[in-house]
Amino acid sequence: MKTNERNLVMSDAASRLRRLAAFFSKGFLFLVAAASLVAVLLIIVYIARDAIPFFKLRGLKELFAGTAWFPSGNPPEFGALAIFIGSGLVTLGAILVAVPLGIAAAIALSDILPYRLRQAVKPVIEILAALPSVAYGFFALVIFAPLLQNHGGSLLSLAAWLIFLPLGLLIAFAVSEIATRSIRADVAPAARWLLAATLAAVLVRGLAALSAILKNVAVSSGTNAFNVSIILGIMALPTIVSVAEDSLQAAGRELREGSYALGATRAESLFRVIIPAAGSGIIAAVILGVMRAIGETMVVWMASGNAAQVPQPWFNFLSPVRTLTATIAGDMGEADQVLGSERYHVLFALALCLLLISFFANLASEWILRRQARRLGGLK
Amino acid sequence: MIQPTLANIRAAAEPATADYGGRQAHVACDRFSFFYGDNQAVRNVTLDFPSFQVTAIIGPSGCGKSTLLRSINRMNDLIPGGRTGGRLVFDGQDVYGPRLDVVTLRRRIGMVFQKPNPFPKSIFNNVAYGRRLHDGPAKGRLQEIVEASLQRAGLWDEVKDRLDDNALSLSGGQQQRLCIARALAVDPEVLLMDEPTSALDPRATARIEDLIAELRGRYTIIIVTHNMQQAARVSDLTAFLYEGDLIEYGATAQMFTKPRQKRTEDYMTGRFG
Amino acid sequence: MKLRSRRLLDRSLTGVSVMAIVLMSLSLLVLLGPIFSRGAAAFLFRATSEFRRFNLEQFNRGDSRRIAAESRAVAEARQPLYGMLAAFTAELEDMDPARRRELRQQFKEVRDLLRELLGPLPGEMDAVMLRQQYGQTRWDRARVTLQRILFSEQWDYSDPSRMGRKVLVPRRQAFAGTQLEPLFPHLQQNLKSMLQPRFTFYWRFLSDRSLDSHFFGGIWPEILGTFYLTLGAMLLAIPFGVIAAIYLSEFAAAGRLVSLLRVCISTLAGVPSIVFGLFGLAFFINTLHLSHSKSVLAGSATLALLILPTIIRAAEEALKSVPHAYKEAALSLGASPLRMVLTVLLPAALPGILTGVIISMGRAAGETAPIIFTAAVSVGRPLKLWETLNQPTPALPWNIYNLATEHQAVDQIRHVQFGMVLTLVLLVLLLNLAAIVIRARISRKMRG
Repeated sequence: MKTNERNLVMSDAASRLRRLAAFFSKGFLFLVAAASLVAVLLIIVYIARDAIPFFKLRGLKELFAGTAWFPSGNPPEFGALAIFIGSGLVTLGAILVAVPLGIAAAIALSDILPYRLRQAVKPVIEILAALPSVAYGFFALVIFAPLLQNHGGSLLSLAAWLIFLPLGLLIAFAVSEIATRSIRADVAPAARWLLAATLAAVLVRGLAALSAILKNVAVSSGTNAFNVSIILGIMALPTIVSVAEDSLQAAGRELREGSYALGATRAESLFRVIIPAAGSGIIAAVILGVMRAIGETMVVWMASGNAAQVPQPWFNFLSPVRTLTATIAGDMGEADQVLGSERYHVLFALALCLLLISFFANLASEWILRRQARRLGGLK
Repeated sequence: MIQPTLANIRAAAEPATADYGGRQAHVACDRFSFFYGDNQAVRNVTLDFPSFQVTAIIGPSGCGKSTLLRSINRMNDLIPGGRTGGRLVFDGQDVYGPRLDVVTLRRRIGMVFQKPNPFPKSIFNNVAYGRRLHDGPAKGRLQEIVEASLQRAGLWDEVKDRLDDNALSLSGGQQQRLCIARALAVDPEVLLMDEPTSALDPRATARIEDLIAELRGRYTIIIVTHNMQQAARVSDLTAFLYEGDLIEYGATAQMFTKPRQKRTEDYMTGRFG
Repeated sequence: MKLRSRRLLDRSLTGVSVMAIVLMSLSLLVLLGPIFSRGAAAFLFRATSEFRRFNLEQFNRGDSRRIAAESRAVAEARQPLYGMLAAFTAELEDMDPARRRELRQQFKEVRDLLRELLGPLPGEMDAVMLRQQYGQTRWDRARVTLQRILFSEQWDYSDPSRMGRKVLVPRRQAFAGTQLEPLFPHLQQNLKSMLQPRFTFYWRFLSDRSLDSHFFGGIWPEILGTFYLTLGAMLLAIPFGVIAAIYLSEFAAAGRLVSLLRVCISTLAGVPSIVFGLFGLAFFINTLHLSHSKSVLAGSATLALLILPTIIRAAEEALKSVPHAYKEAALSLGASPLRMVLTVLLPAALPGILTGVIISMGRAAGETAPIIFTAAVSVGRPLKLWETLNQPTPALPWNIYNLATEHQAVDQIRHVQFGMVLTLVLLVLLLNLAAIVIRARISRKMRG
């Protein structure tokens, strides 16, 4: 037994058996690992298979150019332009909310906050990411929508103050700084203060006027694109913050130290060195965040108003809209009773569009992140 | 048993010990090379590691000594792009031969690494790990084997009351002796040690060196070290590698007093490396 | 630029970014605040005598003698009220027809509202619907109904340039001079003794079945359904995910095929959840016929696909963070790669894998879109285990949507909706907390 166990050389049969076993176990692992490949293929095939009959019957033009969406009408009409615009509008809104906020938060997390505070903020991001979308949707519908409907005007004016006052003050100071650069040194401070104060006063007056206008805006329905945009923006925040922070971190300490050593301030190091180095990662972060907003169903289904109409004017965020995802979710309940009908297939056609958008956005972000990793890897 | 051609040690060294006293275990290189891609880390090295003796491999870092050591139990298989040339023989069999059973090879050639690397399991399970691999769960004898191995590694008295504690709770030196016990538990014939004391303090180092002295004569030990005093203290034979080439090979006492090669002398007197 | 202005810029950057963090944290607070405070009201509220009568009669819960005594006391307190109703009914008969017609309509409204508030009026036959057999079980709802009895809502359209305004008119005015007039102040003053509100901790909200489409009872079927769906998804996704991660981290040589695999994994992660739902319908139900129509099995399979990428990534990360030394040690002792993975790598990576699994569990529990067409129904009883193979189920996320948008009396069961949201959010938060604790323990172990 002992000698047998210690035999270094296997018999031909044993060696073949072992190689076979290794081949099969590796093959098995590969097959299981390929499940995601199979899943992706199946998803594409099955969505496309049910989408193609629609295009065969009705062509492309109606879906992408028509604005009449009456799938249950007689005869039915499938003009989904308003739906595409709705999706686009809420996504644009979500970008406006999430991108500035997300990038600023990522900068704070990677470069500004002290370590302990950073650790305290991380769970906030994790919780925001973990909350189920239906909870966001419920909040949007039950709490935010009535608030918007009853106090929409005052909310808007408050938001205007909050956003434009700090930004405006900042610009006022910057402008006064630049404008007084060529003035004699002894009067420059006084001139600077005078100019800054004047600009600030103008700003406050302007804002007051704006908020007076906004206060009188009547929000006819709280379930609208504005509501959904804000909620979607908050939902997209964690993705943007964490991916952007990762790439800011990946820029490395050497880069920062190099810039600080040249006497640059933190802001200058960030804008001139670190953000350019991490730029593509930030773009990928934005793409991923946008994906979350486009693909989100529950919030838009519950709180966007679901009106398949083109907003007038197109950027009117206060009008109810309808999105791709909500259309699929809402109409399928009726359409699956008439399986195989145009109503059924048109939803797959919409899903196919959604799938293609997400597919290409994903590839783009993947490509960008990979390129960045390679470049930063080479840099180190 | 020993192939006579391999006993011819080229370079300047004569066979250090004419009589290998050999039972079955014997490791020998015959014009052995190892390549990382295009980079040849070990160049045409030919030498014998006599049985039941301690052989030290020394040389500056990057000289290929670890690569050579890790080639013996084929730990370099994991490296992508790695390939070998020449022959490396263990117990009369080509280690890189087509039908060689790596599992048995590694079972018969134990290894101790630079940094103590006990598994994050209990002390008992660490030592029993290899045994369980080969015997299956044969509980009864396991207890004895674990005790014997720990005793042989000089660790039994320190841990006999806490065999169920996590191995990571031991000190660094104890962890390294545990790793030695773990290697001994599968009853190897050869023990490869890759700078086993480089992560340890002087006292723990001395303890390991004592242990090596105790194990000498029972196992063929090949130890890589860049601590020359250590090589002088523990080994019978010493091989000096430089940039992948075997420069000199001979009895330790002679190498350290009267090196034949200029480069050996330069290295030993600290002129480079 | 001058140093001063450079510093100013620097400081404003700090200000802006800190403001972003504050805004983000605030939005979380604003989000969770109402969910927690109003969700808690589903568990902790002032329950009326109707609640206790309901529990006794429907769930056979509570001390029947004490409840009988309470019912007597309540009936006694209500007696004068019912007396006034009877007196007014008689008075109504003697009125002149025009006034009678006018008041009869209003009186009917009052009677309906009283029935809603206190349960069936004396001498009425038992109603079919459960909600008509009992008055308000919650004091907060009772107060709302009381307001509706005291004031009728009317719309003021006098200013044509603005939208109509809601005006509250006391009903008492309409009944001035009749026998019903004193009912309103009487009701207002004595409602407490008619309903006997008492603080109650209704923890069985979690374990009670719902009665009369969530007018009464708890959310057990939804919780159980969510549990089944999540469990099923995990059972399907964990083996695939972990094995794929093992393959990718240990066995896959870098090459085209493997990078294709990786692209597929990230593509899968990016597919919108509603598309998963459609796919589940088209593939699992209409093609594979896993079940005749919606079922827990089909829903679990769909959810499993959704969380597969998350699990693969987390597991791969965990496997990669296992020190190389462990692998080498195992191999040097003569373990085959597969044995090494099973005996050393997996146990060492387990906490990390677990973290990923727990987080994706939270995700699976909270997802709605994939189960709309594959598993979820609005009303259903708790399923037995084997019924999950071919039966649909109610589930927390779906029923939150459903109760909040499609229920016939959305406003009257807000507390149930909030209770469900709170339950789901707590579930997800607890899972994440568990993940955070495990992660902290790992990093402590790695350091120590």
